[in-house]
Amino acid sequence: MVRELTAVFIGGYLVFLIVLLSKLASGKQEFASLIQALDSPVSQVLHLCVLVAALWHSVTWFNLTPRALPIFIGEKRVADTLVAVVMGYLPWLVVSMIILWAISEDWFASVPN
Amino acid sequence: MSDNTKITLEVFRYHPEGTGQTASKPSYDRYDVPFHDDWVVLDALNWIKDNSDGSLTYRWSCRMGVCGSCGMMVNGEPKLTCAAFLKDYYPKVIKIEPLVNFQVERDLTVDMEQFMEKLESVQPYVIRDDVNQTDDGEYKQSPAQLARYKQYSMCINCMLCYSACPVMGSEPEFVGPAALALGHRYNLDNRDQGTSQRMDRMMEHEAVWGCTFVGECSTVCPKNVDPAGAIQQAKAASAQKYFKKFFVPKGAGK
Amino acid sequence: MSKSNEAFWWSLFSAGGVLAALCMPVFVLITGFLIPKLVGGKEDPALVFYDMFSSMASKWPVRITLFAVIFFSLFHCAHRIRHTLMDLGLRHSTGLLAAICYLSALTGSVFAVLALIRL
Ligand code: SF4
Ligand code: FES
Repeated sequence: MVRELTAVFIGGYLVFLIVLLSKLASGKQEFASLIQALDSPVSQVLHLCVLVAALWHSVTWFNLTPRALPIFIGEKRVADTLVAVVMGYLPWLVVSMIILWAISEDWFASVPN
Repeated sequence: MSDNTKITLEVFRYHPEGTGQTASKPSYDRYDVPFHDDWVVLDALNWIKDNSDGSLTYRWSCRMGVCGSCGMMVNGEPKLTCAAFLKDYYPKVIKIEPLVNFQVERDLTVDMEQFMEKLESVQPYVIRDDVNQTDDGEYKQSPAQLARYKQYSMCINCMLCYSACPVMGSEPEFVGPAALALGHRYNLDNRDQGTSQRMDRMMEHEAVWGCTFVGECSTVCPKNVDPAGAIQQAKAASAQKYFKKFFVPKGAGK
Repeated sequence: MSKSNEAFWWSLFSAGGVLAALCMPVFVLITGFLIPKLVGGKEDPALVFYDMFSSMASKWPVRITLFAVIFFSLFHCAHRIRHTLMDLGLRHSTGLLAAICYLSALTGSVFAVLALIRL
């Protein structure tokens, strides 16, 4: 049931993301006030809850992947942990790094010193 | 342990056709049973039947986790009673009840009829378009081909997974873990040619799509079958088949 | 016994499950913790972020990726919430429940498209 509950938090966060994008599209002032609001205790607490839920979703999802997609080499079934790492945790790390890298590149480019 | 150590069993009783005190109304009886380190719950039930109440009804056969007939709820968990050791519960009282999500027939025995119908409905046997004659020799299978489905063929039809499954509790029409896993087992078998007719049943709403991958079935399975995993694979196969029908014109190939 | 379109919803659910598992934690990390950390102390920080995000999000590959992540994840959530409610006993008005869940996800996706196009 905890796993199912993550959908509520992720869903809520997706609504927030859509709002964020809409504000971004509507112009500087609207976007700026939302960004300011992120630096508030309420936002921090909500984000923390969503972060826990999102992590829980990722971990449960990747751990179940090998059972839904077993991989065989000859007669041997590849160990579940190995499949989870190769098909889940590793791509997760790579995707996260790429996104962080893209953001930081842009960030440094746009911040005047 | 000294020889006269005892353990108490609280056993579900129900004799719908009976007379006297135990008639028709479900109730619990308590029995003090000799405690031995190497006794399982089934030994205790046999002791009760032999020494204190011959009317106690339950199923068992092999006593070694092979026949799948001794499944009961032990302290609320579905277990093979021939594999549930008394020492794991001692000194607490052990509560024995019939498997949940089934109709009780009498005491600890349940009605297996619906389970059998569901099992039959997925056609859990090798289906061939062309049947080899004896002279043609056997259908060949390599060790690698065997490995694909072996885990799912270990099922002993003990029905513990049906008692563990929360969907089963709310949706009695659900085909259920063991039957779907066995259907998938034959779909994976290289000697079989019946996947498409089997899938007609398995793709139904009450079949693979009833499952929400809670996974309790795999937790309780005494044979490590992982029916939950098998059902996810069957879902992926169903989805493939579902999308294929939009792209492959009717009648072209199969 | 009924034939089922569940395969369709389940495929969206699975795709969304993968994308959400890959992307959500880092997204949350950025909007919840990195941005506020960088906002603190700056003169007019929000404007810096505005330039940065609008230049980034208006690139087409980024727009399409964002849309895919949002669209599939929304349907992932809708499907999971729907099935959880069904498991919790809401089995009588299944059609209505499905309509509410998936239409919400669709609405969200439409808003996402509108925002992404205007960027
Ligand atoms: S899948 Fe496991 S728990 Fe279910 S009937 Fe078969 S052996 Fe028993
Ligand atoms: S008696 Fe056969 S499985 Fe327990």
